[in-house]
Amino acid sequence: MKKGFSVLLVLSLVAGFFVGLAHAANTFDLTIPLPLTGKQAKFGEIMKRSYEMAAEEINAKGGIKGKKIALSFEDSSGKPETARAIVEKLIDVKKQPIIVGEYTSACAKAVAAVAEERKTPYLIVASADDDITTQNYKYVFRQNAVNAHYADALVSFLKDVVKPKTIAILYESSAFGTSGAAAMEQDAQKKLGAKVVLKEKFETGAIDFRPLLGKVREAQPDVVYTVSYANEAQLLMKQAKELRVEAKLYAGGAAGFAIPEFIDGAKDAAEYVVSATLWTPQLKYPGAKEYAERYKTKYGDYPSYHGASAYAALFVVKHALEHAKSWTPDHIRAALKATDIMTSFGPIKFSDKDGYQNQNFMPTLAIQVIHQQFQTIWPEKLSSAHYVYPVPGWRERK
Amino acid sequence: MTSVQTEVLLQTLISGFLLGGLYALIGLGMTIIMGVMKIINLAHGELMMVAMYIAYVLFAQFHIDPYLSVFIAAPALFLLGMAIQKFLVDPVLKVDSILPENQVILTVGIGMVLANLATIIFTSDYRQTPVDYSTKAWYLSDFWKHAPIELSLSYPWSVSFVMAVIITVCLWFFLAKTDMGKSIRATAQDQDAALMMGVNVGRMRAITFGLGSSLVGAAGCLFIPIYYIYPDIGGQFTLIAFVITILGGLGSTVGAIIGGLILGIFESLTATYVGMGWASVGRFVIFVAALVFFPGGVASLLKTRKLGK
Repeated sequence: MKKGFSVLLVLSLVAGFFVGLAHAANTFDLTIPLPLTGKQAKFGEIMKRSYEMAAEEINAKGGIKGKKIALSFEDSSGKPETARAIVEKLIDVKKQPIIVGEYTSACAKAVAAVAEERKTPYLIVASADDDITTQNYKYVFRQNAVNAHYADALVSFLKDVVKPKTIAILYESSAFGTSGAAAMEQDAQKKLGAKVVLKEKFETGAIDFRPLLGKVREAQPDVVYTVSYANEAQLLMKQAKELRVEAKLYAGGAAGFAIPEFIDGAKDAAEYVVSATLWTPQLKYPGAKEYAERYKTKYGDYPSYHGASAYAALFVVKHALEHAKSWTPDHIRAALKATDIMTSFGPIKFSDKDGYQNQNFMPTLAIQVIHQQFQTIWPEKLSSAHYVYPVPGWRERK
Repeated sequence: MTSVQTEVLLQTLISGFLLGGLYALIGLGMTIIMGVMKIINLAHGELMMVAMYIAYVLFAQFHIDPYLSVFIAAPALFLLGMAIQKFLVDPVLKVDSILPENQVILTVGIGMVLANLATIIFTSDYRQTPVDYSTKAWYLSDFWKHAPIELSLSYPWSVSFVMAVIITVCLWFFLAKTDMGKSIRATAQDQDAALMMGVNVGRMRAITFGLGSSLVGAAGCLFIPIYYIYPDIGGQFTLIAFVITILGGLGSTVGAIIGGLILGIFESLTATYVGMGWASVGRFVIFVAALVFFPGGVASLLKTRKLGK
């Protein structure tokens, strides 16, 4: 029995070796760290599906320089220490020449530090905290906008249409929430000339937002701006509707306010909420609509900007690998640096400006929930529907 | 105080009270187990998670209202609790070990197994039971046209609260009036004496564990219309139950009810007047304060008053 087992073991090792060899010959292994369990799993899922769709498409068209992409995923559960360990393994053991992925800013920060230390390029897909690309890192690239610019379109919408005099900022106590709130505070003072009458943070996983909403009622702001991940956004809006806390406009800073689950969960409380976002299926970028429609037929919902960015990321990787002199980290880095392409996510070009390094700057958008659908409302030339403003008060709705 | 400030204070107290009622139900289950078994059941929150998933599946598959699934989830949890006591906790009690609290450690393990099983079966997606009445509320202005202030009472929160009260009253009736309830109380007070009086202590212990589990199971069903679930949700509720148990005075049911209400109201007040990020800090301030100043919790305060009379 024991002997049989060891023979089997040896055989399987040998077989594994040959399979590995054959594998190495005509595929390019790419392992992507993602939150697939834990609080951020919803975002991880959207991104995983999108990576898979992009890989399928690239492979169907012959792969990258004849090599097919062999995708695999590692679950970081949104924990920086796990993300770090995964990436250390990928670079040190698997010798993967480029790292793509992660979602939360905290995780991306940890991964960026590892990538920089090990001189391996890292392409950030949807992590927003400004700090990540202001560290003078040479190997860290980010294709999504930074938090300071997330709300650009939203702020311009506020400035031109709503003209608020006062604003309340509510945010989740995470790297993403804190930096998003700080960015809005600056924008409010500098661009809008509005007074921040309330700036409050709440803990992730909070159940009861009524005390917080009570404070909002007391402060009576024109606009309530909230930065948070998924569930808190829904609970907050539901309770705002229930307490009938009136404001001229409820606005959200992307993430939890810009995924389909926001409407599914908050239902009628989500109506007329405006949110910043980086991408919508209605955009006229090449391939954007096709991607969105294919995603919808496959999974039943339109993807959020997270998915679009993940989808485009593989094309950015493909472009870089095709233009790199060889597939070593340094050559890939040079190719990424020289990237200047149009993708379904928008134009991608990594530049050093305003204190950021290797950062892609792209126009952002504002969306509004109208009749339980996300509609692009700002900038007006890209809009898919006319915005609804003034928004009817809770009392006037049925 | 301006009218808006009054409004905020009253609204805070209302939501603290409603939250406290639900907390009390969570704390009660742990307290009863603590009283009879003399162990802290650290899988308590995970048992609640199991009940929430039962309610979720019933809602998603058969469109059964989460409030109705109390009647399915609570008995199911009763059986689960009894099985855990009979097949896992009891055998460990009989084994000599280096650590005297090895059953407590066992409950931690049970909790982990449950959480991981849930992750395997349901993945760690957040799930909700989107009921139609989730944002419905009663408003003061609906009843009193010219009310100087506007207060609202959430429909699902109120229903959850009322059901929690009904369950608590039933529990009190069971413990105070029925034979079996008396046997359980006897076991809690003095196991050996109860044994000599002919109480089937082993059976009472199993029933108590089942009862404690079904209470927290009911709490889970009451929580799901106003919250959401994911497999790791248990930890935070174990913690809340633990704080309430300490606050209430280890094993006192009245203490647990009052403890739950205190905790709910205190958390709400902290959230309103200090900051929402501080609510969890407030929870631990109360916990430490209870340990330092009233080691016996609410129960000891009640006792000293009685003696004083």
